[in-house]
Amino acid sequence: MNSDKKLTARRLLIFLAVAFVPFYIIIPVMWAYFGEPIFASENETVMIATSVVGVFGMMIPSFANLITRLVTKEGFGSSYLGLNCKGKMGYYIASVLVPLGYSVLSVLVMWALYMGGMSFSDAFEPLGMQNTGLFLMQLAFSVIVFFPAFGEEWGWRGYMMPKLMELMPKPAAVIAGGVIWGLWHAPLTVAGHNFGVDYPGYPFVGIGLMCVMCTVLNAFLTLITEKTKSVYPAAFCHAVNNNLGFGVLFSGLGTEKAQEKMTEMSGVSTILPYIAILGAVGIASFVLLVRDKDKKEAARQKEAA
Amino acid sequence: MSGLLYKNFRINRSSLIFALIIQVLCCAVILLVCFFQGGKPFEEEGANTAVFIFSLLYFLGSWLPAMATSEIFRTDEGKTACSFAMSLPAGAKGHVESKYYFILIENIIILFIGFITDTLTFAMTGGTVSMTIFIMFVFCWRMMISSVEIPFMIRFGSQRGMSIKGAVVGIILMLGWLWFLFGDIWFILDSEDPIAAFMEFMQSGDIAFWLSLFPYVSIIMYYLSCRISVKLYRKGAETYEQ
Repeated sequence: MNSDKKLTARRLLIFLAVAFVPFYIIIPVMWAYFGEPIFASENETVMIATSVVGVFGMMIPSFANLITRLVTKEGFGSSYLGLNCKGKMGYYIASVLVPLGYSVLSVLVMWALYMGGMSFSDAFEPLGMQNTGLFLMQLAFSVIVFFPAFGEEWGWRGYMMPKLMELMPKPAAVIAGGVIWGLWHAPLTVAGHNFGVDYPGYPFVGIGLMCVMCTVLNAFLTLITEKTKSVYPAAFCHAVNNNLGFGVLFSGLGTEKAQEKMTEMSGVSTILPYIAILGAVGIASFVLLVRDKDKKEAARQKEAA
Repeated sequence: MSGLLYKNFRINRSSLIFALIIQVLCCAVILLVCFFQGGKPFEEEGANTAVFIFSLLYFLGSWLPAMATSEIFRTDEGKTACSFAMSLPAGAKGHVESKYYFILIENIIILFIGFITDTLTFAMTGGTVSMTIFIMFVFCWRMMISSVEIPFMIRFGSQRGMSIKGAVVGIILMLGWLWFLFGDIWFILDSEDPIAAFMEFMQSGDIAFWLSLFPYVSIIMYYLSCRISVKLYRKGAETYEQ
């Protein structure tokens, strides 16, 4: 390993340490304090505490990015903070439309798979003016959710991924980055975030699924970040993904009957269609990322010839 | 563009600091109220009053800095400054766009402070008070007002631009007043808790749809305003004093 790579690896390790430590301390402490898995709790006080921890916790990777740059005197070159939207508007639009698309598709697949013959009109509220308004309002609300989403993205896509891509080939970097991102969520997953605590194979299946989900989403987020050399499209995508994910869409548009049916199922099985569709998006992004590298190499070889 | 942005931050440092201090002060008052509440949830009526007072403070925190928008343009109003701006590689387009970016960044910072305050307020009041949607609407409102006033400031100078903004706000307030006088608002006036009745009205029926369009309209208006201002800049520069 040459000295440049050694330095990159050292910076990456510092970043990961700063990003990982807070959650791995705060969540067990809160669990011990409240005496139950905090993200699966139905106690109102605990729910409020977890939502605040969620908002501030999402900003930890950005904080880690900032700290690492300052401690290692790296400076703020290639910080991915520019907009770079000239000729790249397509990626900005995709960053909103793609998460919306896969969320809507996941809801439809969920209805087809799990609603056992329930008609569409029985499963979903009619899309009148009020529901459309609520949907649009929720989408606009992404402006606010953008802050915590940016908090994660500036750390993962704006710092970790470029460093990983320096250290290893792109495909390996995308997988490693996704797994690291998934493991960062592990304390939350163990505490019942996303899947609850009542599923077979708890908590390892949940952690594994989170790693898979993060890896496929990481492929798309890395693609739009690398194409635009900006972290904002990834932050928009993350904001829409969190704000209008299939769960939010289902609880907003599903009828009471449909939601009751969903509650009967375990968190893991409801999320499977979402992971499958997200997987398709991830594979497509992965191919585009790798093909882009092949094209660049071919152009470089042609230039050299 | 980053150079022009840096220039804007340097020149308008004082107005930016003023904006941030106002917003921080308003947010500090909100947090103090919640702190003296002793971490207990508000009762229903108390929560409605808190929502009303907090909305005024959030609005004030965001609105007062808007008064300083004209300063951002006044600093560059002059034939020499305009000729210099147009001679730069980014040209008039870059010069005008950098002002729009500056105002957007300033508003985003103010929105961020509001968001953090709201998250803390939510926790401190046991989830009884959340103003996130209101904060977002104030942000959109500021974007909309900026998108109306800036083209006039660019074309006719900051003084006239300010007057036109005043007129626009005046018309909006007058329309609101007319609605208050002649509109169908018996359900608010007859209610025991008018604030709660108003909140219910805003969340009900078709009004949710029209309200939901507001953020999108404000973003589109801001973008279009920037395009128009770029076109107007050259004409405006001819009318500036030396």
